[in-house]
Order: sequence, then C-alpha cells, then structure tokens
Amino acid sequence: MRGVTMRTLVGILAAGLLSAGGCGPQEKVVRIALALPLTGDIAALGQGIKRACELALEEAHPKNRFPAFRLEIKAFDDRSDPKEAVDVANRIVSDPRVVAVIGHFNSGCSIPAAQVYARGGLPMISPAASNPKLTLQQLDPGWKYPKSVFRVNTTDDIQGAYAGDFAVKNLKLSRACIIHDKSAYGQGVAEEFRKRFEANGGRTLSFDGISVADKDFNALLTRLRDLSPQMIYFGGDYAGGGLVVRQARGVGEKAAIMLSEANLDPEFLRVAGPAAEGCYLTFLGSPSDLTPTAQSFVEAYKARYPGVEMRAYDHYGYEAMNIVLSVMEKSGPDRARILAALPGLRYQGVLGETRFDEKGDTLNKKITLFRVKDGKFQPLR
Amino acid sequence: MILQQLVNGLTLGSLYALIALGYTMVYGVLLMINFAHSEILMAGAFASCLLLGSPWLQSNSPGVAIVLAMLGGLLISALLALLMERLAYRPLRRAGRLAPLISAIGVSIFLQNAVFLFISDQSLAYPQIFPIRHFETVGVEINSLQLLILGVAVGLMITLHLFVNRTRLGTAIRATAQDASTASLMGIPVNGIIALTFLIGGALGGVAGALNGMYYGTIKYNMGFVPGLKAFTAAVLGGIGNIAGAMWGGFILGILESLAAGLLPNGSDWKDVIAFSILIIVLLFRPEGLFGRHVPDKV
Repeated sequence: MRGVTMRTLVGILAAGLLSAGGCGPQEKVVRIALALPLTGDIAALGQGIKRACELALEEAHPKNRFPAFRLEIKAFDDRSDPKEAVDVANRIVSDPRVVAVIGHFNSGCSIPAAQVYARGGLPMISPAASNPKLTLQQLDPGWKYPKSVFRVNTTDDIQGAYAGDFAVKNLKLSRACIIHDKSAYGQGVAEEFRKRFEANGGRTLSFDGISVADKDFNALLTRLRDLSPQMIYFGGDYAGGGLVVRQARGVGEKAAIMLSEANLDPEFLRVAGPAAEGCYLTFLGSPSDLTPTAQSFVEAYKARYPGVEMRAYDHYGYEAMNIVLSVMEKSGPDRARILAALPGLRYQGVLGETRFDEKGDTLNKKITLFRVKDGKFQPLR
Repeated sequence: MILQQLVNGLTLGSLYALIALGYTMVYGVLLMINFAHSEILMAGAFASCLLLGSPWLQSNSPGVAIVLAMLGGLLISALLALLMERLAYRPLRRAGRLAPLISAIGVSIFLQNAVFLFISDQSLAYPQIFPIRHFETVGVEINSLQLLILGVAVGLMITLHLFVNRTRLGTAIRATAQDASTASLMGIPVNGIIALTFLIGGALGGVAGALNGMYYGTIKYNMGFVPGLKAFTAAVLGGIGNIAGAMWGGFILGILESLAAGLLPNGSDWKDVIAFSILIIVLLFRPEGLFGRHVPDKV
C-alpha cells in the first residue's frame, strides 16, 4: 500500500516537472487563424466575430482542455477584398503552426481563399459566407484537393427561395425590381431570389447592380419608380442597403422593400433612418437573442465585453471556434486529422445541432424573417 | 423622365464641380495634383456633422444651424488645406514633381486613418435638420435638399468666378498660374498666393463635404475617395488648371452618369463605363480637355 502511494506521489511530481518544463521557450504553439474583415466597410461584423472567437478560447483555457500545447488565435484582416483575402490565405497556409482557419466573412473572399486552404490541406470553417458556390466548387471535376470547406450558416439558395416564396405567397406581390451590390454574395442571393420569384409566377421588371462606393443611386431609383413595381428586393450588405432604402423613399418609392440578411445590423437602421420602417429582411438561421441554445453565450459575451453592441454573426463565429476546439480535443492539433473528423461531426452548441452534408454545408437550414417596426428589427416568423 | 434625371445629374454634378475646383486651382498654380483633396471633403463633412450634433448649435433655428455648420466645415477644411500645403508640400516645392505627389498620397492615408482611429470606424448618421419637402413643376420633382445644394454650389461658383476675374488678389492668382517666377518679379508674394489657392480650394471642398453628408445622410472616414476620384476626372474632362472647365466638367460628368443609370436598362452597371469612355474620347481629340488651352512646353 505504502509503496503504491509513494510511486503515485513520485509520478505526480514528475508530471508536474514535465509540464513546468513545457512552459519554457520550446513549448509547442498551435494556432487557429481568423480571416475576417477587421477594417473597411463592414469591419464591425468582423470585429464582432473575432471577439466571439476569443471568448471561446478564453473559456477553454481554465478548463485546461489542451494541456499538451499552447493554443492561440492569430487574426488576419482581409478588408472584405478578394485580392487581400487570397494574400492572407497564402500567409495562413504557409504557417505550419496553424491547424484550422475560421473565415472568411464575405463570399467573394471565401471562394478564392478556399482554394488556397484546400491546396494546403487546411480545414476552413466560414461563420457567414453564404454563396452556394463556396462549397459547390469542391464538387467540380477540376478540384484536385481534399474537401476542406465547411460552414455553420446556411446558404443563399435557401434564403433567396424563402424570400421569393414569402413575396409571392404571403405578400401576394408579383412585380419586382431587383438590385444587388455586384458582390459574389449580393448578386448571388439576388439571382436566387429571382429564380424562385419567377418560378412562383412573379415578374422581374429590372435587375440592376450598383457600386456601393458611389453612394448616389437616385438616377437608378427614379427609373425603377417609373416602372411602378410592387416590391424592391436588395441583395447585398448594409453599406449599400441602408442608402438604397433611404434614397428609394426619398424619390417617392412606395413599393415594399425586402433585403438579404447582411442588412440585419444596427448600422442599416442608422443609415436608412425613418425610411427603414416597414422593410422586410431575411436572416440565415436565427439571431443569438432569439436562439434558446445561445442564451448562455449571449450572457457570457455581454459580461466579457460590457457596452459592446452584439453583431449578427457573433454566435456563428463562437460556434465555428468551438467546433474546431471540440474536434481538436479528440484528434489533436493536426490539419489532416481535423479535416478527417469534420464530415462525421455531430455537435450540440449554441446553434443547436450542427452536422455537415457531403459538400460541407450545415444541415441546419432555418431562416428567420424580420420587419422593421419603430426603428427596430421585429421577428415575424 | 429625362428632365427628372437632369435634376438628379445637376445635383450630383454640382457636388463634383465644387470638389473639382480644389483640384484644378492647385494644379493651376503648382502643376501638382493634390490627392489628399478627397480627405478635405471628408474633414468638412465630419466637422459640420459633429457641429450639428453639438448642443450649442441645436438650440438655434434650423436655418441658422445649417449655415453655422457649413461655415464650420468650410473653416476646418480651409485650415486643413493650409496646413497641408505648409507641412507636406511647401518643403518639397523644389524636389521635382513626383515627391509632392507621394507626399499627397501619404497625407491622404494619414488623415483617413486618423479619423478611423480617433472618431469612428463606422458610418455616422448626418443629422437631418429640416424636413425634406418635395416640389413639383411640369412633371419634375425637386426636393428642398437638392435646391439647397444647387443654390449653394452655384452661388459659390459665381463668387469664385468674380473673385478670380475682378479682384486684385484674383489677378495675382492668375498671374502666379501663368508664370510664378515672373509674378514674383512683379512683386506678387507667390508663397502667399499658393497658400491662398489651397485655402479657397479647401473651403469649397469643405462645403462640398457638408452638402454630401446632408444629401446622403451618412458620413464615413473613407467617404471622400470616390467623389474625389470623380471630381478629379471632371477637372481633367474640363481641362485641368481651368476654373470654368472644372465647373462644366463636374456638371457634364454628373449628368452623364445620371442619364446612363437612369435611362438605360442595366444602366447603373454601365454608367462608369459610359462616362469614362466619353472622357477618353474627349481626351483623344482634345488632350487639353474641353476648356483647357494648349500650353506648349516651356523650354
């Protein structure tokens, strides 16, 4: 008996010494890269996801889930610019300490960057990119790399179809003008809307792209007003959406306005002002304050970052980070082993259950509909 | 329909023209393109917006508040332009043409990031001071904001035209633009005149910034870039260095863009292509711009 306790004691001491040695300069460092827009037009959304990911990592530390190495986050800024995104992706892939990447935010950035990650066998989980092409491109015969793209949000074919159904079947509208911001995301979701809207018997009066930086869409909106549509659909993010809504009402447009999910942000309401009243918005999945499983996250986030406005994709970033952490717990800090574990994943988290289909898209295909009332986004269903 | 688009185009064009004047006046006296001019526009918008939000302006009646805010934007932008000239361009006056150009780009990046870091990295809502009223005559609708923009812009342009052509200081500016060294031999303080052109260009840019903020309702640290680029294009179209040319260039570009976006199906995708194709065609036949005079190289 006595000998056994002695041996245990020695063992514990030795383990303590070893782990103490592990804190020295040769300690193994493992990185999870974040590739997000941290500056530029939609920096606020990227910054929100970054905060959520950091929160997830901080929560993992005291539980000492990864005793064998030091885990850290390294954030990269893609400025919502596809060229910048590919450059960032190359830097991430060439760092052998990086085992997974969370990002990118924009579809236009994610689609080319995904090819870089795939070449390096690096698993990528996007918290927000919703253009179907991001995962579809992996089924292309020319795709010679491992399937490495996953996302925790659902896609624009689902969102556009939902909006197209709602417009025709619920609002009984059949004449639409469609505007998009010429981004992979905005144009993509606008085309998906158009497809379903026309399949339901609706008629598209016009389909126009705008350059958001111009800020002046009065000429286009005057022309659309004279086509007397029953509704306007806008595909794009809030940098353009707020201005379009404001100027449309400014030129006297009375039609219903419906926007894609990247407008569900306080800044949309600030830019559009009173013109936002009555606009419809679809959202991928459901926002954190309406998701029962996300309440503990919302509380933790508010406690950790007091006074910071929560953004629409924070819980998606948190989920993506936690998925990487949970997979890594079992398979270790290795790109190929994490990649092998992701397709069979069943994860219960803030978004409910996440499983990936054969493309890497989540099977959770919920869409929430909002309407702006009294200067706030009110959920309709 | 065409008339309505002309109204849209005139409003847009008068903003372009006000900004273009800043580019063209500086080019006239220094043969230098002040790429930081777009940030002067941004500074004017921010200054007037912050002023309008401040309590001591909100107690005034809307009309007084607007005038004071615009004057504030004008003052800050004019001072900023003056400071820019003194700190970033004057020390490089004899350093060849490339150095001040790079310096200008540096100033532009510096100012954008200063506002990004110290004021806001997000859009700010520009306070709406008076309710926008719509007026309609002969099928054309124009609102009070468009009238304000057109009125202020045209008023400033007429004032500038009279100042440059009818006053002693204006004559001094024209003399400096023609030949700086001869002008200085005639007793014109060339350094002071150059500073004055920056001051005037900056003031006009500041007013344009304030009007831009009012018209679109939001301002942001990078808001100057696209209008600046378009205004520069307008200045080249009209003949850079030529004051009347900058005004006409601004109006022509604004109207072309509005007509293209407003009359053609899918026009908003094509409006820049159309506007810039016309610019290229004009420059092919008149490299000096529509109103510029051909100046033989000084040897």
